[in-house]
Amino acid sequence: MTSKTQTVPLAAPLVMQRSAWPRRLKGLVLPVLILLVLEGVVRIGWLPSYQMPAPSEIAVTLIDLAEGALWKHIGVSLLRVLAGFAIGASLALVFAAWVGLSREAEAYLEPTFAGLRSIPSLAWVPLLLLWLGIDETSKIVLIAIGAFFPVYLNGVAAIRDIDRKWVEVGQMYAFSRRRLVRRILLPAALPGLFTGLRSGLSLAWMFLVAAELIAATKGLGYLLSDGRETSRPDIVLAAIIVLALLGKVSDGLLAALEKHCLAWRDTFNGQGAEQ
Amino acid sequence: MQPLLDIRVERKSFASTPVLTNVHLALQPREAVSLLGPSGCGKSTLLRIVAGLEKDFQGQLRSPEGEVAFVFQEPRLMPWLTVEQNIGFSDDSHYDKAWVAQLIEEVGLKGFAQALPKALSGGMAQRVAIARGLYSRPQVLLLDEPFSAVDAFTRMRLQDLLLQLAKHHAIALLLVTHDVDEALYLSDRVLVMDNRPSSIRQELAVDLPHPRDRRDPLLARLKALALTELQRAHVI
Amino acid sequence: MKPFAQRLLGACALALCLQPQAFAAEADPAQVNLDYAYYSPVSLVLKHFGWLEQALPHTKVGWVLSQGSNRSLEYLNSGGVDFASSASLSAVLSRANGSPIKSVYVYSRAEWTALVVRKDSPFTSVTDLKGKKIAATKGTDPYLFTLRSLQQAGLKKDDVELVHLQHPDGRTALEKGDVDAWAGLDPHMAASQIQAGSRLLYRNKDFNSYGVVSVTETYAKEHPQTITKVLGAYEKARDWAVKHPDEFAKLLADESGLPLEVAKLQLSRTDLGSPLLTRQDVVSSKAAAPILVSEELVRRGVNVDQVIDQLIDTSFGQALPKP
Repeated sequence: MTSKTQTVPLAAPLVMQRSAWPRRLKGLVLPVLILLVLEGVVRIGWLPSYQMPAPSEIAVTLIDLAEGALWKHIGVSLLRVLAGFAIGASLALVFAAWVGLSREAEAYLEPTFAGLRSIPSLAWVPLLLLWLGIDETSKIVLIAIGAFFPVYLNGVAAIRDIDRKWVEVGQMYAFSRRRLVRRILLPAALPGLFTGLRSGLSLAWMFLVAAELIAATKGLGYLLSDGRETSRPDIVLAAIIVLALLGKVSDGLLAALEKHCLAWRDTFNGQGAEQ
Repeated sequence: MQPLLDIRVERKSFASTPVLTNVHLALQPREAVSLLGPSGCGKSTLLRIVAGLEKDFQGQLRSPEGEVAFVFQEPRLMPWLTVEQNIGFSDDSHYDKAWVAQLIEEVGLKGFAQALPKALSGGMAQRVAIARGLYSRPQVLLLDEPFSAVDAFTRMRLQDLLLQLAKHHAIALLLVTHDVDEALYLSDRVLVMDNRPSSIRQELAVDLPHPRDRRDPLLARLKALALTELQRAHVI
Repeated sequence: MKPFAQRLLGACALALCLQPQAFAAEADPAQVNLDYAYYSPVSLVLKHFGWLEQALPHTKVGWVLSQGSNRSLEYLNSGGVDFASSASLSAVLSRANGSPIKSVYVYSRAEWTALVVRKDSPFTSVTDLKGKKIAATKGTDPYLFTLRSLQQAGLKKDDVELVHLQHPDGRTALEKGDVDAWAGLDPHMAASQIQAGSRLLYRNKDFNSYGVVSVTETYAKEHPQTITKVLGAYEKARDWAVKHPDEFAKLLADESGLPLEVAKLQLSRTDLGSPLLTRQDVVSSKAAAPILVSEELVRRGVNVDQVIDQLIDTSFGQALPKP
């Protein structure tokens, strides 16, 4: 069918221009505002600088630290978090799979885990110090405990939440138990597992700080307590900032991995996907 | 001729509610049979028993030597696999690429081999499900209300596709549906089922050659018979 | 305990109605908070007999247990206490890092710290500790003692591994074998000697700094009479302690939960004779201060001598009767 058709100029370029940049800038407005207000308030003297150092002072401290021992502390803390997280998450995945797939295992194990889970993190510290001493072992075990429970919980829920419809497809093909797990249960549980992993990682950071506040000789938590004991709130805040940054970066990496592995998901992703 | 499939269910209950009672069904090679009845009457259960998804029943099942494949009401594709991988699902990662490619073309989805299920419409996804069913080269294809989730026009196209595939690959069809027109259009025999506890009330033979014309008056007469029977059974 | 946030709001409110109050005659404050500690035996006496409550009848007196100089100074800086008991060198460190505090009184001059090792330990001198683990509470006198001892032995703080544990935990770590040495503090040090047979690897009276009571600058400006009353009560307690040594030891033992011999050992190395801050104290603090700079415990560019001059306030002692 031909006619006097006119090609309408594409409006596409206009859509492209709404790139990610303005969005990112919006996110920066609040923090920058807070920093400016703080700087002003401390300079004027409304807040005493020995309790709340000005952001400029904290920046100077950060630079000082960066020229010195900061990288050593970061390295030590990162290693601890990664080791603890790896151990805790792996164990959690194993147990989650076991409990998720076997009603028997669930009956035996779930009550114990539920009890252990409700022990607050800091309550573990004196116990672990007593049993495992003040070295790396107690710290990494503490972090592993922290990472374990979110991964385990989300893992079990993810497996339980799997739509029966998919499992039936596997049953129809007479899949063996192992094949069912490998081909259907594991991929289907992946979204829930990733949620658990991200949650576990953030808890691992939290437990790291708790572990390093007690009897450490290096690390970011140690830096934190160092600042506290020598009346250096600027060091305290600098350590907090570095911890926050590292936490954000590590979560970001995990999120990127999640996005890559779960690209197949057909889900709601906020208003009007501008993919 | 030895039937391809012979199923006899004396009794099947869920909890203490009997769902099927005294059902006997035999399927010949290349035959298309529909089970027609209201929702919840047990026709899906019967199909699942044939598929081996329900094992707890009183009766006997003789399955064919070759494969039996199942197409569900929803496509039930694995969302993390591409169309190609979904079709070859039963063979893990070493599926027969050439055979899959052929099936993709036969169901009219050429070019979508690498697409993910989230990119497919309902009708397209169901085509993939049918292709998946055909992958294992079955002798019998079991379909549980396969087209109930798509619109009327897509449904008609898919019905034609099914007939085409069944003819091309010499497959027998056992179809569960609550659409009288569909049952009559597709099948050689239509078995009208009761409310639960259900058995087969009536068997209607559709002696029309394929390809059928939906406007054929015989189909209309048979439809009237079916409806009368369904009314008698207090289904409608 | 007044939390920081409360103080912040209070500061804002205060800013609005500040001026008229400053020049009014000083009334007794509604509440005053002091710390008490096992390393300051006189504080235990004062708390026990309630003489401060008698001296300030319209004031609610609060007592907070401190586990070390680091804690005391933290509480002082956050407004948790008005009077903090700490080692003088720790107070210098705190002031050098920006805390506006003033030391007004000496609660004891003791040889309260030394480097402690287990009774079966092979170490014989400080140099043996190179590369080893030493438990020390950061920001306290034992910690500074350790640094000074190391320096004297030709070692730097990076030559050993300093593990930060609060005093009682440090003792446990030593006795359990988790660390090789511990910068001890009485009474825990005395307890470890008597109960576990630990021995003092290195002692040095000169490396111990005297113990001071400190207040914030603001408090010194706004409540000078309260300070005088508090110090007066302290003097009463000190006087009693000097005159009743046996009961004093028993009181210390009861309060700290440690055996009588431990209390006696601690008191045998404690001198309560000169509670007033003198020029000599300023001089000895200045002599000790370089360690803070050499070990980079204070910010760069800080003039520690000037800090000490600003920190030590001898005026409050003048109002007290001479001992």
